Amino acid sequence: MTNPAAPLDSPKPLAAVRPRAHQRLSRSRRRAGILFALPVVVLEFLLLAVPLGQAFYYSFTRWDGITSSWVGLGNYQRLFADPNFWRVILNNLILLAAVPLAILIPLLVAYLLNEHVLGWRFFRSVYFLPTAISWVVIGMVAIRVFALEGILNAILAGLGLDVQTDFLSGEYSAMLAVAITFIWSVFGTNTIIFITGMATLDREVYEAARVDGASAFTTFRKITIPMLMRFVQFSFILTLITAFTALFSLIFIMTGGGPGFGSTTLEFYVYQQGFKVGSFGYAAAIGIVLFAVVFTISIAQLRLFRSRLD
Amino acid sequence: MRPTRRRLTRLVMFAILCVVAVIMLFPFVLMILTSLRSRDQYIAGSGFSLASWQNLFVQMPVLAQLWNSTVVTVGGVLLILVVSTTGGYAFAKLGFRGSGLAFVAILSGMMIPIQSIIIPVYVDIARVVHGVNQFPSAIVVYAAIGSPFATYLMTTYYRSIPTELVEASVMDGASYWQIFRKVMLPLSVPAITTVAVLQVIQIWDDLLVGLLFLQTPDVRTITVGLAVLQNGRVVNIPTLMAGSLVSALPAIIVYLIFQRNLIRGLTMGVNK
Repeated sequence: MTNPAAPLDSPKPLAAVRPRAHQRLSRSRRRAGILFALPVVVLEFLLLAVPLGQAFYYSFTRWDGITSSWVGLGNYQRLFADPNFWRVILNNLILLAAVPLAILIPLLVAYLLNEHVLGWRFFRSVYFLPTAISWVVIGMVAIRVFALEGILNAILAGLGLDVQTDFLSGEYSAMLAVAITFIWSVFGTNTIIFITGMATLDREVYEAARVDGASAFTTFRKITIPMLMRFVQFSFILTLITAFTALFSLIFIMTGGGPGFGSTTLEFYVYQQGFKVGSFGYAAAIGIVLFAVVFTISIAQLRLFRSRLD
Repeated sequence: MRPTRRRLTRLVMFAILCVVAVIMLFPFVLMILTSLRSRDQYIAGSGFSLASWQNLFVQMPVLAQLWNSTVVTVGGVLLILVVSTTGGYAFAKLGFRGSGLAFVAILSGMMIPIQSIIIPVYVDIARVVHGVNQFPSAIVVYAAIGSPFATYLMTTYYRSIPTELVEASVMDGASYWQIFRKVMLPLSVPAITTVAVLQVIQIWDDLLVGLLFLQTPDVRTITVGLAVLQNGRVVNIPTLMAGSLVSALPAIIVYLIFQRNLIRGLTMGVNK
């Protein structure tokens, strides 16, 4: 692949020898470029860009899918005065609070895996396996854990804590159950990200630390974490965006958003208001709020990445 | 003293990893064991039978739903592969006025949550093309959702292929289409596999798009079928667990075969 004789910045030989031929060439090349880019551009324009514009427009209307009437900021005013909306925001904050745990646990486990103890390859495969199953299936199993006759109650009873509650119908425990299931689900993905990151670290640094008598905890805190910052950041953004935009199916199966709005998050509220209540304009406004949140997170992340590269 | 202590540390580490493995494998064990009981045996907590598996095939058109899932998954993945390889080739190797801008615009598609646009998409497809309950609608929506990341992966991959290769082929008189087919596609098989594996699992496991665009029983996917069964009036837990296993199995098989590609696709975002 690398030819030592070739200069690093390859000159354009055609341009030097026959400028006209090169011009013709680059024109046909650009034309080919447009043709090859066309399918993806058209697809994304029609099914992402246009709908986003529509969602934005309809968020200022009362809309039932057929007719719409302009209400200005009405939907947004109604949204911010809606007590259910604030409960929904609180649920998103609960998920946000779960994110550090969803990162820290995989980080610790990846550290152990990286020590290459007996069977670490097997463990790695097992941990990553849930990545392949759907949120629907995960939700099915989670119900059997958190329900009244579920496994968690049995375990608690075994420990002498005979609470016997249906965690999925408690005002706050339902959201907590969703958050715990979420942490379980992203464990494998984050572990893999951190193992990949640790594989890039210099083992000599660890040897040096060991020679200096540093404890495992100290090396983890003082060497592993700082050197892995790039990976921690990546998994943070991935986990947060998963939490805010990928849990629809899990909530749909586990709680249906209830009790009341006890486990309804922004993304679920869009579905609920749109397809259950039929307030398409109001739901569009909620979708725009969700978009604003995700977009802000992504941009902040990009900025962070850029400033690090400079 | 020291070697013993190190061995002890490693033993503790091993024990922790075992506990974590049990927690991660628990759902699979639960699904298998529960599905092997009839409803009465499940309530009684003893005995094994295949009654729930028989019941599953009575309650749910499993094979038809597996077929429907296969149709939308294969269709969606193929469409994603077509647009992401051609797009990646254009952005990485050909270029045109505004290609940089177009590339960034497509990448920013990754930042749009599906829920933010799903209502207009649904209304457009229902009213403009009357496409609800038709496979092509779901396939196109899946492709639109999956293509930004796929295009990003393919573009990054094509950028790593030396441009000289394209230039040399042009001098030999090859057309840009021939270069794409004879040079770029064969070289990018690893990236194509990665995109395909990621998207197969994504689409197979999806609920929302299927729920909205494939509503009637004859076009239902297995994932949607399962969700419908769960929300039904009579909930038969062992049957549900059997259904969960059936729906999870294809994705697990893909995972076991292509684990490496999956990991590569996942971590490609960081190594940029």
